[in-house]
Amino acid sequence: MSHADLTLEGYSAAIMPPAFSIPAKKMAMWLFIIADSATFAACLVAYGYLRVADAHWPRPFHSITNVAIMTVILVTSSLTMLFGIDAAKAGDKAKAVRWTMITAAGGILFALLHIREWLGLIDEGMRLFQNPWGSALFGASFFSITGLHLLHVTGGVIALIVVGIRYKGGRYNSDDLEITGLYWHFVDLVWMFVVPLVYLLNLSH
Amino acid sequence: MATAEAHRSSTGKYIVVYVCILAIAALQFVIAYSNLDGSQMLARMLVLATIEAALAVLFFMHLWMENRGLLWFVVILTGFVIFAMQYSWTDSFRLLNGVPWAK
Amino acid sequence: MHDVPVHHHAPPTSFLRKHVFSLDHKVIGKQYYGLALIAVFVGMILSWLMRIHLGWTNLAIPGLQLLSKSGAPGGIITPEYYLQLMTMHATIMVFFVLTTAPFAAFGNYFLPIQVGAEDMPFPHFNMMSFWVTFIGFVVLMSSFFVGDGPTLGGWTQYAPLSAVGAVSGPGQGTGVVLWATAIAIFCIGQLLGSLNFITTTLDMRTRGMSMWRLPFSAWAWFITSIMGLTAFAVLMPACILLILDHVAGTSFFVPGNLVINGQIQPHSGGSTLLWQHLFWFFGHPEVYIAIVPGMGIVSHVLTPNLRRPLLSHRVMVYSMGALAVLSYMVYGHHMFVSGMNPVSSLVFSFPTLVITIPSTIVVLIWMGSLYGAKLRINSPSLFALGFISMFITGGISGFFLAQPSIDIMLHATYFVVGHFHLVMGVAAMFGIFAGTYFWFPKMFGRMMNETLGKIHFWLSFVGAYCIFMPFHYLGIAGNVRRYPAFTDDYLQPLIPLHRFITVAAVLTGIAQFIFLYNLVHSRFWGKPAPENPWEATSLEWSTPSSPPPFDNFGGKLPTVYHDPHQYGVEGASADYVMQTSPEQIKSGHDEA
Repeated sequence: MSHADLTLEGYSAAIMPPAFSIPAKKMAMWLFIIADSATFAACLVAYGYLRVADAHWPRPFHSITNVAIMTVILVTSSLTMLFGIDAAKAGDKAKAVRWTMITAAGGILFALLHIREWLGLIDEGMRLFQNPWGSALFGASFFSITGLHLLHVTGGVIALIVVGIRYKGGRYNSDDLEITGLYWHFVDLVWMFVVPLVYLLNLSH
Repeated sequence: MATAEAHRSSTGKYIVVYVCILAIAALQFVIAYSNLDGSQMLARMLVLATIEAALAVLFFMHLWMENRGLLWFVVILTGFVIFAMQYSWTDSFRLLNGVPWAK
Repeated sequence: MHDVPVHHHAPPTSFLRKHVFSLDHKVIGKQYYGLALIAVFVGMILSWLMRIHLGWTNLAIPGLQLLSKSGAPGGIITPEYYLQLMTMHATIMVFFVLTTAPFAAFGNYFLPIQVGAEDMPFPHFNMMSFWVTFIGFVVLMSSFFVGDGPTLGGWTQYAPLSAVGAVSGPGQGTGVVLWATAIAIFCIGQLLGSLNFITTTLDMRTRGMSMWRLPFSAWAWFITSIMGLTAFAVLMPACILLILDHVAGTSFFVPGNLVINGQIQPHSGGSTLLWQHLFWFFGHPEVYIAIVPGMGIVSHVLTPNLRRPLLSHRVMVYSMGALAVLSYMVYGHHMFVSGMNPVSSLVFSFPTLVITIPSTIVVLIWMGSLYGAKLRINSPSLFALGFISMFITGGISGFFLAQPSIDIMLHATYFVVGHFHLVMGVAAMFGIFAGTYFWFPKMFGRMMNETLGKIHFWLSFVGAYCIFMPFHYLGIAGNVRRYPAFTDDYLQPLIPLHRFITVAAVLTGIAQFIFLYNLVHSRFWGKPAPENPWEATSLEWSTPSSPPPFDNFGGKLPTVYHDPHQYGVEGASADYVMQTSPEQIKSGHDEA
């Protein structure tokens, strides 16, 4: 229940103003983001730890085209999310829903490109436990980190569609859309670290 | 809440931030093709990624417009926890430099 | 995330919503307490089995072969099965008792009441948090009945033996996977719980309840939930990587060319120390997740019995906060002899010694407040004193272990076992008991039996020292922990001491059934509780009934005028002033 709900229920004067002047729902999303950053950081530290320790770490990526396209799509989907939230704040419901669905479509496109890339790597013989280029841990860390991220993207797409539909139906308001947006930007933010650390540092020269 | 004018200006701001993030990402791709050694490249990549992430947190996630207390709460708590994880590196370097079973 | 507000909603009437999938934080708190109660008795019985085996190695325990045919043929525990019992004892106690009872159970029940809210902001998350934890417990317990039993790797699950599968012993295949799954599930439950606790404290405080007017227990739960939020978030991916090592053939934690039981392992490139880094990064904050709520509860219980405030409210809170911060910087002191870089040992040893400063300040505040006070002796205050005693005794052995050069000798001996059982295990248990005796009248509207409570205290207090003080001696004598039997020459003279400990453990365990009896009997036939039996000031004693109504304050929210330490107030109508009392105080200690 948000502070807005409390206001609606006539309790606004009965409680202390919320800390940091944001409703509890938004606070909870920020807390989730803090926890999730710790999760991703732990995964990236583990990956870095193993990679640094291994003198024969493979650097198999030849092309950056696919990951560049994926990055542009994900960052753009963050932008469209912002347009949706702004439209919702301005009261333009139809526009907000449209932008939200475009964002979800961006997420789906990202996931499809990612899966296509995975299939390509699997075709080349890369598995969780082995790969044709060097340390077996390359596949393990690549698939677990990008897999965890892909899981977040998938969850985000589902959340965007559900929240978008319910926002359209009037069950959720623009605050809920904004909170979903926070999560979506966070998924984007994680990708900003995954790309240089997992892809670009493993580029073959 | 937001008047049409404020709306337009925030759209403009978002696009500026968006372009900056993509430009930094592009810079990372350029660095990836340069002939730097690993640690140099890693340092540059991390600095750029942190700037990118800061832009996203501050302007896409509106942390800059929120109560300043929230900014400090999020940044200090997350930064501290991630910083505290970095103790493990010395062992990683030792594995690289001379322990035979770390193939 | 999208929960309907509970205001003005009628209480649920269906059985399922009322007692099983309840959204009411009070019911969820009681569910957590019930889970912890089941878990603590399971854990205790496991420790009995271990102790009996240590005292009388070849003694057949009748009926044990029914639990595991291969682990206890004819009722005699095999060395492997001893380790399996030990692992389960530790895992159950650390996760499902010491985290669940003082933090999740009491926190769920009393945090919203103490801040003056009708419920937590996200009741659905709260319900999920309990049921997810419950599933974790079921998954963990199921490993007793699957394949060759639970894992034998200890609650720390050190790699590589935890990551290579069945070749490293019974239970190391399916058992480890079930263990890691259970813990990963548990992490999700605690994440949901922490989200609720933090938002409750930050956003649900009633009018007049500034942060500095929160009682100690609320502060402790708030600080603990911030630790829980970030620590469990690191354990979860670590557990998932461990599961991948088992089911997907990865080698995150297994180095190459490793020979186990004569077989070369098909792994390469991983690092065993990586697991320890990830695990202890969670593991050390976890220690404080177990003990900080106990500190809060003890302070909360002591104040009304002292009839005067503790020396300083703020310094107490700052010290608990400092413990939380430092807990993230000291985890390497668990790894002094692990083969970690010796320089890191130095780096970790310094903050470990620094952490004694806030701990000592906390203890000094209690001691200074007790000095010259007319303490009311009752079960809650006795257990609070017990907590302080255990915390000091266990803390002092920590000084020795914090120094790498001494730790090299004492590491993995019974000295360490004695240290952490006193400072984290028994102390936290005494905190739970203090909380139970103190809050039982509010939770069930009946008093617990005082005489039985005092008997329970003295038996537990003396018993705990009889069990755990000799551990220090055993450790200094060189008795390594996790040995299932003592056949070496130098250990044989210690067997009589082990037998003494075993007898003490069994008797102290039996004394806990007095508590169980008291709990169950008082629940149904106890003396009806007066409105405010301890003459305490905090908000849980301002609710219109015991137990509180569905919305805690009967359709309205209280207004808070004072901090919760208005005891021994001169010129007031009683010697204490409730937080909700609009009475003006001249010489109050209101810091808010």
